[in-house]
Amino acid sequence: MSMSFLPEDMNWICRPCGVKLQPSTVELSYLGSVFSVELPACPQCGAVLISEELATGRMLQVEQLLEDK
Amino acid sequence: MDQKELREWESRCIQEEPPACTAGCPLGVDARAFVQAMVQGDMQTARRILEKTMPLIGITARICEAPCENFCLRKDLGGSIAVGLLERSCISSAPRQGKILCLPSRGKKTGVLGGGPSSLVAAFDLAKKGYAVTLISSTSPGGWLSDMPSTVIPPEILAEELAVLEKMGVWFESATTLTPDVLAEVRTRCQTVYIGHDGELDTELCNLLANVAPETMALPEEGLFTGGIADAEHLWRYITSVAQGRAAALSMDRHMQGVSLTAARPRPRHGHTDLFTSLKDVNPKARIIPSTENDNYSPDEARQEAERCINCQCLECVRHCVYLQEFGSYPKVYSRRVYNNEAIVKGTHQTNTFINSCSLCGQCEILCPHDFSMATLCLEARQRMVEENRMPPSAHAFALDEMRAALSSQFELVRMAPGHQSSSAIFFPGCQLAAVRPDQTIALYHHLRAQWRDTGIWIGCCGAPAHWAGRKTEFREIGEQFLQSWRKLGSPRVLTCCSSCLQMFRKQLPEVDAQSVWSITAPPLNAAAPAKQLPLALTDPCTARNDKATQAAVRRLIADLGQELADLPLSGELTECCGYGGLMDNANPELTRKVLENRVSQTSADFLTYCIMCREQLARTGRPVLHILDLLFPETARSAEEAPLGISTRRANRRALKIRLQEEYFGERISPPEEWQGISLKIASELLPILEKRRILTDDIRQVLWLTEQSGRYFEHQSRGIRLTSARLGEVFFWLEYVLNGNEYLLQKAWSHRMVPAKVTK
Repeated sequence: MSMSFLPEDMNWICRPCGVKLQPSTVELSYLGSVFSVELPACPQCGAVLISEELATGRMLQVEQLLEDK
Repeated sequence: MDQKELREWESRCIQEEPPACTAGCPLGVDARAFVQAMVQGDMQTARRILEKTMPLIGITARICEAPCENFCLRKDLGGSIAVGLLERSCISSAPRQGKILCLPSRGKKTGVLGGGPSSLVAAFDLAKKGYAVTLISSTSPGGWLSDMPSTVIPPEILAEELAVLEKMGVWFESATTLTPDVLAEVRTRCQTVYIGHDGELDTELCNLLANVAPETMALPEEGLFTGGIADAEHLWRYITSVAQGRAAALSMDRHMQGVSLTAARPRPRHGHTDLFTSLKDVNPKARIIPSTENDNYSPDEARQEAERCINCQCLECVRHCVYLQEFGSYPKVYSRRVYNNEAIVKGTHQTNTFINSCSLCGQCEILCPHDFSMATLCLEARQRMVEENRMPPSAHAFALDEMRAALSSQFELVRMAPGHQSSSAIFFPGCQLAAVRPDQTIALYHHLRAQWRDTGIWIGCCGAPAHWAGRKTEFREIGEQFLQSWRKLGSPRVLTCCSSCLQMFRKQLPEVDAQSVWSITAPPLNAAAPAKQLPLALTDPCTARNDKATQAAVRRLIADLGQELADLPLSGELTECCGYGGLMDNANPELTRKVLENRVSQTSADFLTYCIMCREQLARTGRPVLHILDLLFPETARSAEEAPLGISTRRANRRALKIRLQEEYFGERISPPEEWQGISLKIASELLPILEKRRILTDDIRQVLWLTEQSGRYFEHQSRGIRLTSARLGEVFFWLEYVLNGNEYLLQKAWSHRMVPAKVTK
């Protein structure tokens, strides 16, 4: 799952940091597996944005795959 | 599950037992598959099936006396399937399909004396097994087959089969007469010798063939075997001879390999099989008589005759169960899949979803002639998965969360009757009735108290979801907790509306005197079925399958109310689950939808039930469904057309019911609500079904928003005026997209995931 999942709309500001989210390397972990992906995150506090499309699409598929392992 | 347990499970499912025709065939021909290919008019496949087990196919298919027909289950329903005629039809229409494959040479020689059919078959089988066969006959090979009318066995067919034997390596020799001297000579060069009774043997040689062992066809003298012991008057002359030839060839093979002739030898079945085939819906249909003079079927006649085949299968459970159909096989195979699933160390456990999709309803066990219980198989597999920490975390998460909430102090309420210091009985409506029908729960409580003033009330949960999810420890702890509270109440009778609660109490807590409310209740005076109400289809909850007393009590109540019932064949002990049981709906919502569609397709009548989850589940199909409380308490009756309640409404109802009971009945001071409950929230109506599908509660949403208020952390869109926030509640991350209007949150989107994100700091 080493891919980029940046939403089309990247115009999000992190509050209270007041900084625009930037494409960042994020580790997604579940049931002992770790994947490195590119996601929007706050460069200051590190808060990560998981879009609806990602959560209900590819991420759900991977979760289900891992749950069957 | 270990191998021994697997064998035990497998042995209970008899679907792989042979059909009666195959069991009745001394050669073990798969007549069922053959006839099914004939139904399709697929002569090639049909012939291929015969070639698998039938020796000298050109002859056997033409003159086999078809003892299989004697065992055919069609026998008394229009006459047995004419397998013999169909074989003739096939053999004359399709050429040989495959090459006869012989094993590599074993470097051992064997002899066959006599040219009768049994000798030819013994030679055929031994050559296939890789032995060098010498066949010695005094007449031309074929014996009495050569005397058959050419319309039955054309001479060229016999010649063709002999050529096949030759091609397989059988060496033909001739002798003037077959005498003991010839035998003695053959013994010098062959390890074993077969002597065919149906060949032309001289009297002295014949005298050597006494005292044959019927199972192995071995003669007392080591290395000698015989067969073909059927005279011209014998009803099954051909098939008996060739079956003996085959049995002898098997023994000769074993003898030459130095292994026991009898150990683990397949026993002739003589038509016996454990395969159960229901003839309930099989109508008599007369056998097709060939219209042509030569007594052969035309292709059309052959197909029509084949179509009469019942295609014997058990599949009693699969026929009725959408879940068993969904995964494409039957319990014997399923038990193997469960076993294999556990054996996998690495790789995908493809059976997890299968194991978690069973409603544990127990219908299969009732239908199965050998009481195979998918419920036990799946429940035990779930328990092992939990114990070994292999249960997929999301499989039952929502139901377990619901259960734990119902058991928490926010929702649970246990009280003696108002003004009483002891209770002889306690009303335990069940967690879902309290959540779906709070008004009726109170009405029923009133009604019970009118009969027994000291009846207390217990709004809680029996722990069934923990049991269904395979969580033995949690279920046991819930039971222990229940017992503690119950003893504090003075161990009263427990009156419940819920068949699942009743089942759990009776199985797990036998010291609790648990009774069904329906079996002790008389209708209130003002209760009656609405005038002109059409007959209703009563669906029994699956957890009441074996509770005949409750089933009968409910029917008496319904009769007292003047409500007529429509026919619903799968009810009582054969009833079907609504998909809530066993947490099927949690693990496999799509399958639940199919189960429900199937259930409502069984009747055109509206439904009536006495389980609130059956009512809510069946109502999802759009079919009107009443709960028995709608008839018992007309003043609180809900419309049969009412849509099922959503998960958030159920939870809110449960909370409100506790407060109402505390205030109205017990005059208690209500503890202040949690701070997050004060969040002002508005949800767009189009979002509601999505929240339902994603199992996101308004409670979850309020908690996330409250946490956001506390932390002051969220994302704000640069231009669209929307905000995005998330928080982890338990194992789940919830995300909300909303607009904040004053202090009111207008929710626009919500989603969730379980993967844990962490930004990599560089």
